[in-house]
Amino acid sequence: MTSFNLIPKDAILLTAVTYSKPRLATFWYYAKVELVPPTPAEIPTAIQSLKKIINSAKTGSFKQLTVKEALLNGLVATEVWMWFYVGEIIGKRGIIGYDV
Amino acid sequence: MVPPVQVSPLIKLGRYSALFLGIAYGAKRYSFLKPREEEERRLAAEAKKKPDEQKRIERELAEAQEDTILK
Repeated sequence: MTSFNLIPKDAILLTAVTYSKPRLATFWYYAKVELVPPTPAEIPTAIQSLKKIINSAKTGSFKQLTVKEALLNGLVATEVWMWFYVGEIIGKRGIIGYDV
Repeated sequence: MVPPVQVSPLIKLGRYSALFLGIAYGAKRYSFLKPREEEERRLAAEAKKKPDEQKRIERELAEAQEDTILK
């Protein structure tokens, strides 16, 4: 593999690939489990969880949550809502503002 | 390495539905705003025409009346 006649552009590309490969592998390792869309079989489970949440809102049992749990739930909800804005960026084909 | 977390299906459903809603919203709003902006640009260009015309007339008048021996 040792070719010492690399022009600088190839060397930069090579170091970039060598650097990113293991990190990309870690990313895929986690993304394969955590970032996949829900399979159709999971949707009934999701609806059950939603019903549980609505129930806890109706019966007032959400007041039994600890502050830590409530904060974590708020964080998760915020992260889910941020995906909406990412989708909007994709839909309007621009990062800041509408490019009309 | 820490093993990957098993994400609840509700969260997964929520994430991807938010993503698609966002894409739809962005695309719809873009197609809504685009013709309005073009209309506004057209109106701005037309509104600019008259003062530009005036300036051109004034400039030519000034040049015609300019009386120097340097010409």
